[in-house]
Amino acid sequence: MADFLAFLEELRELIPNFDELLSHLKRPLPTYFRINTLKISIKRAKETLRSEGVEFGPTKIPEILRIERFDAQRPLLSYYLGYIYPQALSSALPVLALLPKENERVLDLCAAPGGKTTFISQLMNDKGLLVANDRKKGRITSLLSNVKRLGITNTVVTIGRGEHLDLPYRFHKILVDAPCSGQGKYRFDERHGTIKYMKRGKTNLSAIQKALIKKGFDLLLPGGTLVYSTCTLDPEENEGVIQHLIEKRGAKVLDFSIPIEGCPGITEFRGKRYDEGVRFCKRFYPHKIDSVGFFIAKIVKE
Amino acid sequence: MPKLLRNEERELILSFLDWRFGIKREHFTDYDIYAFSRQAFLFRAQGENFTFPKGHFLRCGLPFMRDVAGHLKPTTCFIQKFGDLAHKNIITLGKEELIELCEKGELALDKNSKDIEGPGYVITKLDGHVLGVNLLIENRLLCRFPKALKETIKRLKKSQ
Ligand SMILES: C[S@@+](CC[C@H](N)C(=O)[O-])C[C@H]1O[C@@H](n2cnc3c(N)ncnc32)[C@H](O)[C@@H]1O
Repeated sequence: MADFLAFLEELRELIPNFDELLSHLKRPLPTYFRINTLKISIKRAKETLRSEGVEFGPTKIPEILRIERFDAQRPLLSYYLGYIYPQALSSALPVLALLPKENERVLDLCAAPGGKTTFISQLMNDKGLLVANDRKKGRITSLLSNVKRLGITNTVVTIGRGEHLDLPYRFHKILVDAPCSGQGKYRFDERHGTIKYMKRGKTNLSAIQKALIKKGFDLLLPGGTLVYSTCTLDPEENEGVIQHLIEKRGAKVLDFSIPIEGCPGITEFRGKRYDEGVRFCKRFYPHKIDSVGFFIAKIVKE
Repeated sequence: MPKLLRNEERELILSFLDWRFGIKREHFTDYDIYAFSRQAFLFRAQGENFTFPKGHFLRCGLPFMRDVAGHLKPTTCFIQKFGDLAHKNIITLGKEELIELCEKGELALDKNSKDIEGPGYVITKLDGHVLGVNLLIENRLLCRFPKALKETIKRLKKSQ
């Protein structure tokens, strides 16, 4: 816990209402449901959820409901019938930034368990081609079952290390929702003096992230766009990775607007200066959006 | 790798859906049907010369149809998505009946619906929601829901 607090302190000047963040992290993560409009209308899904005893409120994204109360012990038919996908509000944001359209060719490089894949297909109206890849077999089992549950037909699921993926085509849009340290999910467990949802392992994440984003960029069609996202606050896994892509591939960072406002990317950290373009990246802090913290960058291949 | 069904094989599946459930073949013009690991998959058509990524491939599209003891059986996920297009061989059950079907594995039916055309799979609904298919033999409905759905329905009892 001390390490994380020390790390957060380094960001004190960069995070708006920093003390609010600290108290926010003591609260549990709220639940959100995304409505799968490939199977049910928003209106009917709401009626069905109400009839199942779920209480909810709106968010700025019409398909996403903030769950106020539901009995986790009670089985939800809405879930089994593929009407809903429980996920963090912020999880939907990279997909809104990607803006996939009907009949495009889209790649989700790190896709499991499919929270974003299934939303991408939803925005594509289940038309075109969506390739969903992940390297871990166990997680792909959940991806396959979610794609099935949500009734999706336009998806090819592949298994492999994203950085070595050998595909016979190029894509209009690519999502690199990279493996990360997951700090955006961390919550303080005051009773035990620990951090909840903390990941173990000491993999060199930024090296993997850099390899993944470069491969994603190489698989884009000219004029295609790539969204890179993580659920972490660490600039080395975020702006640092974008900086690497700018240096290695001459990538251009795009500004983008989605229904939920973010804070600009950080241009300097631990004495390292990043390209001015990283300002267009967006950081979504837990206390600002009442969900998991996220980082999103949108990049174009000119 | 998945194999695109030949026209006759495709026709066999689509005519079954039309014959048994009144789901018209026109609904599937934008889809290809592939055979893979002893199942048929419904995959959004990608146009000519489409190839699957070799080496990494695991699955395409939605599990569609299986051959069960020489008879075609639509998958639960397919019927949950496309079942609203059906016009016949649909049965609506109340919650109690549904729980009984899942607990006992079968349900005696006294319904003589004109929409039921003899033995075979019937689409089963609750409150207008398509849940899946079950097998009707004479006046007995045999539960053919997948385990997870069966367990969910059984647990509805405790939560009413
Ligand atoms: C943040 S999670 C993805 C979450 C997913 N996009 C969703 O919304 O449900 C990162 C994923 O990257 C996968 N992964 C890790 N290393 C990878 C690699 N080298 N290539 C592809 N996937 C990888 C992990 O198995 C994990 O499922």
